[in-house]
Amino acid sequence: MTRTAETGLIIAAAILAAVGVGIVEFTKDNWLNAQVVVTFGVFVIAFGGIQIAVRRWASGASSLLLPTVAFLTAIGFIEIYRLDGHLAAIQRWSMLIAAAAGVGLLWLLRNTGVGVLRRYRYVLLAVGVLFLMLPLLPDGWPLHGAVVNGSRLWVRIDVPGLDRVLSFQPGEIGKVLVTIFLASYLAERSEAMATIDRKIGPFKLPEPRHLFPVLVAAGIAFVILIYQRDLGASLLLFGLFIGMLYIATGRSFYLVTGALAAVAGGAAAYSTFSHVQRRIDAWLDPFGHFSDAGYQSVQALFAMGSGSLTGSGIGLGRPDLIPAAETDFIFAAIAEEMGLAGSLAVIAAFALLVAAGFGIAIRSRDLFRKYLAGGLTIVLALQAIIILGGVLRVMPVTGITLPFMSYGGSSLLANTAIIALLLRISDEERA
Amino acid sequence: MPALFFNIIKLLFLAMLFLFLWQVARAVRAHVGANPGTRTAGFAAEVVVLTGGGDPERVRLRPQGHVFGRSEDADIPIDDPYASEFHARVGVTDNKVIVHDLGSTNGTYVNGRRVTSPTTVVRGDTVQIGKTILEVR
Repeated sequence: MTRTAETGLIIAAAILAAVGVGIVEFTKDNWLNAQVVVTFGVFVIAFGGIQIAVRRWASGASSLLLPTVAFLTAIGFIEIYRLDGHLAAIQRWSMLIAAAAGVGLLWLLRNTGVGVLRRYRYVLLAVGVLFLMLPLLPDGWPLHGAVVNGSRLWVRIDVPGLDRVLSFQPGEIGKVLVTIFLASYLAERSEAMATIDRKIGPFKLPEPRHLFPVLVAAGIAFVILIYQRDLGASLLLFGLFIGMLYIATGRSFYLVTGALAAVAGGAAAYSTFSHVQRRIDAWLDPFGHFSDAGYQSVQALFAMGSGSLTGSGIGLGRPDLIPAAETDFIFAAIAEEMGLAGSLAVIAAFALLVAAGFGIAIRSRDLFRKYLAGGLTIVLALQAIIILGGVLRVMPVTGITLPFMSYGGSSLLANTAIIALLLRISDEERA
Repeated sequence: MPALFFNIIKLLFLAMLFLFLWQVARAVRAHVGANPGTRTAGFAAEVVVLTGGGDPERVRLRPQGHVFGRSEDADIPIDDPYASEFHARVGVTDNKVIVHDLGSTNGTYVNGRRVTSPTTVVRGDTVQIGKTILEVR
């Protein structure tokens, strides 16, 4: 796809967002207002801005990523706008800030390339783990952790003299930093880790010290699960570790031990923690837990069921009945108002995004860039799988945002940074 | 407002979504489907100096091109007594990689055939300068 075609599709996505906002306004009071124009403008500035940065500093970058991301952001934004105009206004600012961060990242790496990140990998690891653990800071400090919806993954900064506090989810950035570290760690060790020369009975085992990373992964995931009560983030990190080990070694051994460790960890968590137990019970029998833990799941099922094939039409359903419809459960809201057709479009867009991401990884010759592109794509894919699986009741509900679609600034910022890095890698490894 | 009107709008909007995805899907297929390892008539980005002293040297093509030759002043100096001082130029025009012979004594060969006019090369082609072989990747 040429750059011109890319620009065309970005403008088309902005038009989609504007049309969606127009439909919402029209169903509300049979008239349009300035929101349509503002939305169009913000989309063009945000994604056009990133594209200009790409043209300047990464002119060989893949042109498949930005249109897909703009499409997902547009559909998510329409549904956020439909649910809560105030949140949508904040989300527009988040989009602009995230786009500015993406442009900044492309500018920073314009001469050095992503290779420079290798040099700072232990710093990045330290900062990443710090970010992941930051929500554990005790209450009462100026910078402190906060519990929202039962999970301790927020950090608040109290500004004296201000009523509103600044809050963000540092874990979102943390996962990107951890991915960078893993890519550079594995780029050096993958060969040693791929050699499997021990045999115990029919099973081939790698050196015990190569099991160490799997144990570290399980450990970090477990700490997050216990102290932050965040199932989604812990599953995402664990899946990322295992997925990257598999990419780097090509050994299914890591997938098998990873799956076994996950099942064992899940079973242990089920018998130990009440919040895990409630989630899993609600998953197996949501209607039996209608009045408490299963309520969200049941409302989502009703919403998706009433959406049918083509949906109720934007602005004509009742997605406001689903708890957390504008964040974690935005997919259920989309399925209600845009139907099976709209939700399949979303899933297809994610599949295309992941295909483009793995395409970049496959084409990369340098191992670090290959693993980094693969790992970043895994982060995007796993987030989508975990939350879509939860909404569709394929797996227990684990609170996590749907990339680019859910309301939330931290998530948008981190995922835009992922796209900026993928763009950069595809420029350096074009072939 | 009649329900029919909203139904039409709804379906039109969904049609727009899929039209958009169709465009992206076509581009993704073209990009991911191509196997980078085999010889494809795609845009080449790199020239690898295979023979000559030491390890293969990779040269990433730039828009203004590179001049290969025995001279120290060539963009890519080649240590080969059979190469001319400024032997050949490999440039990029309209996303095509083009080899120009710069009036060399022993000639420039693309896939074993001597070049008389500027010649377009694709990934997998070899370019011979003196006794040095370049591979386009």
